[in-house]
Amino acid sequence: MLDSLVSGIFNGNARSISRAITIVENDGDSDTVRNLIREIFPRTGNAHIVGITGPPGIGKSTMIGRICSLLSEQGKKVSVVAIDASSPFTGGSLLGNRIRMQESLTKHGVFMRSLANRGLTGGLSRSIWDTVKILDAAGSDYIIVETVGAGQADLDISNLADTVVVVLGPGLGDEIQAIKAGIMEIGNIFVINKMDRQGAYIAMKDIEETLAMMPRGEWKPPVVGLNSMNGEGYDKLLDLIDRHRTFSLNHPEVRMRKFRTELQMHIDEELRRKFRKDISGILQDDSRIRRYLEDHVDPYSAAEGIVEEIA
Amino acid sequence: MSEGKSLEPGKNQSLFNERPIKILLAKPGIDGHDRGILVLAKAFRDAGMEVIYAGLLPTPEQVVDTAINEDVDVVALSLLNGAHMTVFKKVADLMKEKGVKDIAIVGGGTIPDADKPKLERMGISGNYGPGTQISVIIDHIRKRAEEVRKLKSAGQ
Ligand SMILES: Nc1nc2c(ncn2[C@@H]2O[C@H](COP(=O)(O)OP(=O)(O)OP(=O)(O)O)[C@@H](O)[C@H]2O)c(=O)[nH]1
Ligand SMILES: [Mg+2]
Repeated sequence: MLDSLVSGIFNGNARSISRAITIVENDGDSDTVRNLIREIFPRTGNAHIVGITGPPGIGKSTMIGRICSLLSEQGKKVSVVAIDASSPFTGGSLLGNRIRMQESLTKHGVFMRSLANRGLTGGLSRSIWDTVKILDAAGSDYIIVETVGAGQADLDISNLADTVVVVLGPGLGDEIQAIKAGIMEIGNIFVINKMDRQGAYIAMKDIEETLAMMPRGEWKPPVVGLNSMNGEGYDKLLDLIDRHRTFSLNHPEVRMRKFRTELQMHIDEELRRKFRKDISGILQDDSRIRRYLEDHVDPYSAAEGIVEEIA
Repeated sequence: MSEGKSLEPGKNQSLFNERPIKILLAKPGIDGHDRGILVLAKAFRDAGMEVIYAGLLPTPEQVVDTAINEDVDVVALSLLNGAHMTVFKKVADLMKEKGVKDIAIVGGGTIPDADKPKLERMGISGNYGPGTQISVIIDHIRKRAEEVRKLKSAGQ
């Protein structure tokens, strides 16, 4: 079964890709997922991952539709993943990003998957790292990831994407300061969308000034204005994405930082996995818990003692 | 909660241990009434489902491609213009053609009673008219989702 799934992915078969994503989405750290990723990993590393983040309703999905069309017309293979928030109360979710890009997806046969974040904060979904690997192994030149759109909570995207595009626009009011507080550091490219709207130029100036006051590395994040209704500015945006792609290919430290973070995530998981049984055994041990309480042992010391015991 | 049993701190995600039903809501054909389907979408979300709301998906091909990309459990088709016998059938045929057996199709809209058995034979169940209680629809979707989930895990 895994073999046919893997060869389907390598052939770019939509059903195989899609089913594989379902498996990583639902069976998180199962052996199936580990084996799947091991099998496909040799074919990964070619896609350029572009993260699109910014406040709700700013135009991220609309933008992705246009980017898909332009890249497809250049003969590039594009895939899209868009993440929405799950309700913390019901676990349900309304995944509505597709509407704004459907026309372009259909026209160019672009694979697009909506994911619910299932309670994970940070703007991404737990399974996104593996999802991106599947799309990469399926031969995507570009993988575009739309985050939840909770502004500051979306910082995770910088650990996943090669190029982070932060989308802002006019009419954000005082909120803009709060949004900026978290998001300015992670953007490689800044977009002011809705240039057709009043206040767009002021918003653009505001971002340029904020950027000018920030400590600068070798890459100076540019700002580009877009009108997503008529497509104005998109040539420049694509050119900037391409330039940042070249930059990141020439600066291995970007990939190193990303790999480090991913490794950290898996080591945490691996450690938990390794000691889970021991720990739950100890926690279930009534006499031990009673003893801690009777001896009035503080929880820090108790935990330290336990870890000492099992590690 | 039972006495002495505790939740793991910071991992209080019991809701997310059960994987939610994933459903695509589609109105194939150019049929302008969009409000009804948005009301349904919200009701399904509130019932704990992950709902793909794709707006108008004009062609049956788009419906099927989207269902495959999203790997949904259920596709809910709604039509008020009376074209269900052609459009619903086309969706069911395309699914078959593409070898998709583990996505359930549920119908709704203005469907004459006489057509319902024919739709059922194509694998399109439910076929609820306007005014049906949402809880009835939700129960039916849960039942169909459970059926296809079994097929999915058997095929894995
Ligand atoms: N006037 C104007 N409207 C735009 C522009 N870009 C997008 N919109 C509109 O803004 C609204 C929101 O667009 P989306 O693309 O759904 O925004 P989003 O950031 O993906 O929204 P969420 O995913 O809900 O956070 C839609 O009604 C778009 O048509 C633009 O450049 N100008
Ligand atoms: Mg969106």
